[in-house]
Amino acid sequence: MSVIEVSHLTKFYGKSRGIVDVSFNVEEGEIFGFIGPNGAGKSTTIRLLLSLIHPTSGTGKVFGLDVTKHGPEIRRSIGYLPSEVFYYEGMKVIDLLKYSASFYEGNFTERMKYLSELMELEMNRRISDLSFGNKKKVGIVQGLLHNPKLLFLDEPTSGLDPLMQRKFFDLIREENKRGVTVFFSSHILGEVQRLCNRVGIIREGSMVEISDIRSLQQNNYKKISVTASGLTPEFFDTPGVTNVQTENGSVNFFFKGDINAMVQKVSSLKLDDVTIEEPTLEEIFMHYYE
Amino acid sequence: MNIFLRELKANLKSLLIWSFIIVLLILIAVFKFSAFAGDPEMLKILDSMPPAVMDAMNMNAFNLTTLIGFYGIMFLYFGLMGAFAAAMWGSDIISKEERDKTVEFSLVLPVSRSRVVTAKALAALVNCIAFDLITWGFSVVAVQSYKPDQAFYDFLALEMQAMFMMELIFLAIGLMLGCVLKKYKSSGSTATGIILATYFMSVIASMNENFEFLKHFTPFHYYDAGNLFRSGQLNTTYLGVSVAIIVAALIAAYWVYNKRDLYI
Repeated sequence: MSVIEVSHLTKFYGKSRGIVDVSFNVEEGEIFGFIGPNGAGKSTTIRLLLSLIHPTSGTGKVFGLDVTKHGPEIRRSIGYLPSEVFYYEGMKVIDLLKYSASFYEGNFTERMKYLSELMELEMNRRISDLSFGNKKKVGIVQGLLHNPKLLFLDEPTSGLDPLMQRKFFDLIREENKRGVTVFFSSHILGEVQRLCNRVGIIREGSMVEISDIRSLQQNNYKKISVTASGLTPEFFDTPGVTNVQTENGSVNFFFKGDINAMVQKVSSLKLDDVTIEEPTLEEIFMHYYE
Repeated sequence: MNIFLRELKANLKSLLIWSFIIVLLILIAVFKFSAFAGDPEMLKILDSMPPAVMDAMNMNAFNLTTLIGFYGIMFLYFGLMGAFAAAMWGSDIISKEERDKTVEFSLVLPVSRSRVVTAKALAALVNCIAFDLITWGFSVVAVQSYKPDQAFYDFLALEMQAMFMMELIFLAIGLMLGCVLKKYKSSGSTATGIILATYFMSVIASMNENFEFLKHFTPFHYYDAGNLFRSGQLNTTYLGVSVAIIVAALIAAYWVYNKRDLYI
């Protein structure tokens, strides 16, 4: 069953573009990655699905219900973590969480305790006294508190230290195991790859590609930089190598293909240095433009 | 109910500040009144003032040396204060969510926008009622040393009803501005502009006969203290107009707020 069905969704803010003709489905129980650079339309898409803004054309459905007509009903089972978290400044963390919980049916005292201990929240501090990262932690607890069936995470890891990030990812995986569907928006390819089953790539308001995370990885380029004495660019003149450049005595290129073969080839050199890294998002998008 | 209670708490400080200001205003005014209460010399000085000033201050209708006359003049300040407070409460209670960027929290909760507007409007209404009652109550206390008669209490009650109607009108306009204007910064200043414009319309209408027609467009004339004093009651036609303005503003508020994009 599709939890999210987006069909030809278009949003213009006056004349400026939000998203154009975006269509995709998110199935129940999956973690769907939604990646693209800043300003590509990730937040616009999420805000349309939360009916904070209304589409110019096209439709969005969540749990089979139209988002423009059934907003309040849909939002009963949704948790949302915005990229920047803003709460009523004068409130204490505990009061804010209780306030949020009061809008949903059920008793969430135990869960509040569990989540806040996990995220190491200081419950009696005022929102206005919290750092960006600590506000984000409140956002995580608030978003998950009412046992939502669908989670929207918009750049969730910004502001979290690595330890918290890992805890957060574990928590999301745990939720997902209980059947929660996750819509994970990010501009960091690595974290999407680690967590998601499928990804949609959005660029300048349009969906460029929707694919299984595995096939995306297989398709993926590696960015390799090799420094060795007497090395010439011609050494890497083999299939799968593109974009060879020499810079400060090191040779940089993109490689797509069997990584073992490449590592063997590199190991025949007397290396000063070597790096193999993920291409940046922009570089991946270059690939989708070819 | 939770939104209503939270808003009441969040707006309590503002209510206390406005109440403090009006209490201070009444205190100072009553203290000043002691200087010309029952003083015939004062009447002569007042009579020698230019007629235009008398019109603008609505002093023709009242004998300033009596408590009723004095409170007739005071109503101008009550009306203005009520209008400003109500308009600010109305516009701010909606637009602050966009200003403080809390809409991404408060309107992602499972509530309809109409329910949010209703809860907030009721919280602002409670503030308006409290502000009116505080003005009323403190006035009664402040003038005790002048031993006011029943006529004064009746006139004060009428004034406070009129002040309440003005609060309602500008509360509705404030709510409408908060709901309709996407630029949260402009709702407060637009509300202030409307109050000042309608106030000066009523001043001009009373000073210059050519502009008398303007009086039909300003709540400051609907609830003119001189008319209240002469007739001893609220004008039914203008009450009807007031209700129409309030209903129209509220319809616009709900209708647009449900349709428009939130500013994030």
